[in-house]
Amino acid sequence: MSKRCLAVLEPAYILHHYPYRDSSLLLEVFSRHHGRLGLVARGARSARSRWRGQLQGFTPLLLSWSLRGELGTLTGFDTRDRAVAFAGRHLLSAYYLNELILRLLARHDPHPGIFDAYEQALRELAGREEPALRIFEKCLLRELGYGLLLDRTADSGLPVEPDVMYEYHLERGPVRCDNPAAAGLYLRGSSLLSLHEEALADPQANRDAKRLLRAALSIYLGSRPLKTREVSRRLATFTAVGREAQERHDMS
Amino acid sequence: MSGSRLIGQLIEALRSLPGVGPKSAQRMAYHLLERNREGGRHLAAVLQQAMEHVGHCRDCRTLSEEALCALCASDRRDRGQLCVVETPADVLALEQSTGYQGLYFVLMGHLSPLDGIGPEELGLDSLEARLQAGQIREVILATNPTVEGEATAHYIGEMARAHGIRATRIAHGVPMGGELEYIDGNTLSHAFAGRRDV
Repeated sequence: MSKRCLAVLEPAYILHHYPYRDSSLLLEVFSRHHGRLGLVARGARSARSRWRGQLQGFTPLLLSWSLRGELGTLTGFDTRDRAVAFAGRHLLSAYYLNELILRLLARHDPHPGIFDAYEQALRELAGREEPALRIFEKCLLRELGYGLLLDRTADSGLPVEPDVMYEYHLERGPVRCDNPAAAGLYLRGSSLLSLHEEALADPQANRDAKRLLRAALSIYLGSRPLKTREVSRRLATFTAVGREAQERHDMS
Repeated sequence: MSGSRLIGQLIEALRSLPGVGPKSAQRMAYHLLERNREGGRHLAAVLQQAMEHVGHCRDCRTLSEEALCALCASDRRDRGQLCVVETPADVLALEQSTGYQGLYFVLMGHLSPLDGIGPEELGLDSLEARLQAGQIREVILATNPTVEGEATAHYIGEMARAHGIRATRIAHGVPMGGELEYIDGNTLSHAFAGRRDV
């Protein structure tokens, strides 16, 4: 018999929710000090519930619960801060963060570092969307113990130089490569350093970082593709067409 | 338990209704058997009919026993406006309380990538085909003001714009007769951001 665990007003986010029984919700929660956990919000879907509609994702919450065994029960909550006002455009990126956490973190495994990085990323999505995603991915790998070597080469341990090409060997690190072949993960030293410093100011560094992190994450994500990535890709095609049409309209 | 196999089965079957537990199911079963056999027979017949014949409307996909639902078939509706909602119950709610005269498209859900429900699973291809057909001037996005509803509205909004169609989102804000003090912060900040000239 596992012992009962009570948490009072813990900083947390709701990653996902499912309807549970007739009027309850099953929340997939990411808390700062207790990691991911499942909580039942009793009666949260009933018409008279004071919780109704308030337990939304991407809102900084303080949650109280009691937990015995695998599933806990939500006993109270408060909002911690003003919710980040998301335009729809950034919602898919925010979902992408949730999907990564759901896929890569086990329940009841606290990762305050990832929690802080998640919160940071949510705040920055509205401004610097792509860098915010890359920095979160980098931090996620580091906190899980798969951190990327970015400022030194894997073979000689020499500092990475901005104007040199490197081949990145996953799970090892960059190796200097003066004549890149067709296959392989080749990156400029400046891009590696930009990711190392979490600057990611220019488009080239962003593209390189995206390639590198996608390859690195794919090892741990397994073969099942990320759904948010697929939806984002389709959405991007509409956005591009819409923008073109708008520009044509503006010019005429 | 009574020991009757059939009554046991009836009670078990009634539990498939929402909000009906073992006790209510038992009360319903005995009520029908003891006091209202006629009502029970009628229920059985109608239930059988509905389960056999109610399908989805070809155009808007709401529940309907006709291939084309009454709203879509009506010649008094404005065919230039298309209101996108999540469920058939939403159509009913809008019909009862707004003077909307256009047509509907029922998603039967919302985008939920974390559950593996993307645009394909939601059948947005058929919505896109309708946008492409060129009759529609405005798409009104009336998905729920939840995170999932917003994501869905954004996706469809972009799709509409890509076809050069105006997309509008229903407003959200303070409920009628509400008091600001008791309204949750999210709603209030939305209402404030979406203020209008008077």
